[in-house]
Amino acid sequence: MGRKLVIDPVTRIEGHGKVVVHLDDQNRVVDAKLHVVEFRGFEKFIQGHPYWEAPMFLQRICGICFVSHHLCGAKVLDDIVGVGLKSGIQVTPTAEKMRRLGHYAQMLQSHQTAYFYLIVPEMMFGMDAPPEQRNILGLIEANPDLVKRAVMLRKWGQEVLKTVFGKKMHGISSVPGGVNKNLDAAERDRFLKGEDGLLGMDRVIEYAIEGLELFYDFHRQHRAQVDRFGVVPALNMSLADAEGNVDYYHGLIRVVDENKKLVTEFDYHDYLEHISEAVEDWSYMKFPFLKGLGREAGSVRVGPLARMNVTRSLSTPLAQEALERFHAYTHGRANNMTLHYNWARAIEILHAAELIRDLLNDPDLQKEDLVLTPAPGAWTGEGVGVVEAPRGTLLHHYRANANGAIESANIIVSTTQNNMVINRTVRSVAEEYLDGQAQITEGMMNALEVGIRAYDPCLSCATHALGQMPLVVSVYDAAGALVDERAR
Amino acid sequence: MSGRVDLSLGLLQGLSGPSCLIYGVGNDGRQDDGLGWAFIDWVEAHSLCPEAELHRNYQLQLEDAELISHKQRVLFVDASKDARLDSFELTQPAPKMDFSFTSHAISVPSILATCLQCFGRLPEVHLLAIRGYEWELQMGLTPAARKNLLAAASELSGHRLPALAPAC
Repeated sequence: MGRKLVIDPVTRIEGHGKVVVHLDDQNRVVDAKLHVVEFRGFEKFIQGHPYWEAPMFLQRICGICFVSHHLCGAKVLDDIVGVGLKSGIQVTPTAEKMRRLGHYAQMLQSHQTAYFYLIVPEMMFGMDAPPEQRNILGLIEANPDLVKRAVMLRKWGQEVLKTVFGKKMHGISSVPGGVNKNLDAAERDRFLKGEDGLLGMDRVIEYAIEGLELFYDFHRQHRAQVDRFGVVPALNMSLADAEGNVDYYHGLIRVVDENKKLVTEFDYHDYLEHISEAVEDWSYMKFPFLKGLGREAGSVRVGPLARMNVTRSLSTPLAQEALERFHAYTHGRANNMTLHYNWARAIEILHAAELIRDLLNDPDLQKEDLVLTPAPGAWTGEGVGVVEAPRGTLLHHYRANANGAIESANIIVSTTQNNMVINRTVRSVAEEYLDGQAQITEGMMNALEVGIRAYDPCLSCATHALGQMPLVVSVYDAAGALVDERAR
Repeated sequence: MSGRVDLSLGLLQGLSGPSCLIYGVGNDGRQDDGLGWAFIDWVEAHSLCPEAELHRNYQLQLEDAELISHKQRVLFVDASKDARLDSFELTQPAPKMDFSFTSHAISVPSILATCLQCFGRLPEVHLLAIRGYEWELQMGLTPAARKNLLAAASELSGHRLPALAPAC
């Protein structure tokens, strides 16, 4: 009798998804998919709103990566008012550096959340450990000092966000053509030197290094399991500068293959010539792909692993040292090992900390030239913005009418870019862990979640009230009859 | 273990000092999910607890364990979907690792346990759960939720207060 295994909802990700695994009479995996079961419709909501509301409105898509949406929208607005990169104009050095400061702070705190709170517990206790242990709360009981350091690290990142954007969440800094404030010397010194209850810069870097070493220790102890888990092919995509190095704020979209050979490189303003999106009736999440290669071959991986595969080097010394070790591990080929996302993420936490340190020491942040004023007639009414969000390449595209009202918006978020490769991972893990097994264990089900969580997918945010968030697992036979069900 | 709290003295009178925190959880763009923030609005509108730190957030975060570790008294306020609740409930939650953590939510007992475990101290903490009914993408509380908010606010202040401003 064929069976269908459902994990609904998948836990410890942003939003609501479920996994369905179809098993045949011999319990062999026939199919496995991640279904995204919520619909949001922000692209529709924004229609008719004034163009300048978009970066404020659309950052509400997410409570974790709101800065990425805000900055992406700001880049679009630069284009729309005629002082953007589409017109070959760059905002002032102070404005760009303030945007980058907020961007890197979000990279640090977002990765910190995913890595220390969601992934490290699983690394330390193992994916077969009881759910109540392989959890940040289990880690708190086992190693409170480590969690305390992780909390202080994230707090530091959030304080930087609060200073740049005015609030820890959904603040405002970017305006069309620039930013609305710089960083004064007292604010700078607070983050460099720290204060009571707030880390100093050196300690932030020290904790970031500790995070990377946690991965090294974990990898050393579980090398075989880590390296064979969810190994799936994909092209790798990231924003990159002219030398082919990742640039989180601006650059060309660069795609490399498994041999790190350049597949394509293009200006993101031309993305409609290069990227298309497919739909499936079983998921609200679209499937983007490179038009020139078709849907299967042209699907890309984005995010930390993709960025570390694309980039030739990193601009800060400690992260560069870590990158060299990362590159050497696969002998120059792209890294397709899903759990190495966590290695790449830990490198990026360190890189973000170093980038912030460098910016804090840059006197441009105290300068007053914050906004470019558009020349008369510069209005273009259309713009495209792309940034490297923590989870990968994020794109916003708006068109506004002559009255400044948004007529259309298109948003391609990084998790959408990863949709195909996440589904490949789910299939790979299902075949590795479930294939031919008569009994489905908690550890097997968690393996599927581990595969998804490695991407740190953001399926969205929802309302929160007391209670909620059960995990229900249901097993159905091929005729749709319930065979087994349990909840945790 | 948590227990109901005697409101006869008005809890807010004890939350007026600088080492106190009133923390509203929710989202005012999702109807009654905004009850936590609306309570903070009400405290501000009536100039109560002028020295206390007032805080609004969409959800509790693990960092809140560090935040409350610096406080003597804390009141968390959140909307509740619990149909057993007539109007509101004030409890004194105890630290407990209940493994509720996601990056978007964590329970008050888990915050307390984290505070105790990682930062070595625990403030006096109350949790005010106010019954809500509608959670769609819309500003403004439902009339029934506003009534519950007023009831809770009146009880916690220890005396009857004037009615709230009309709903948006």
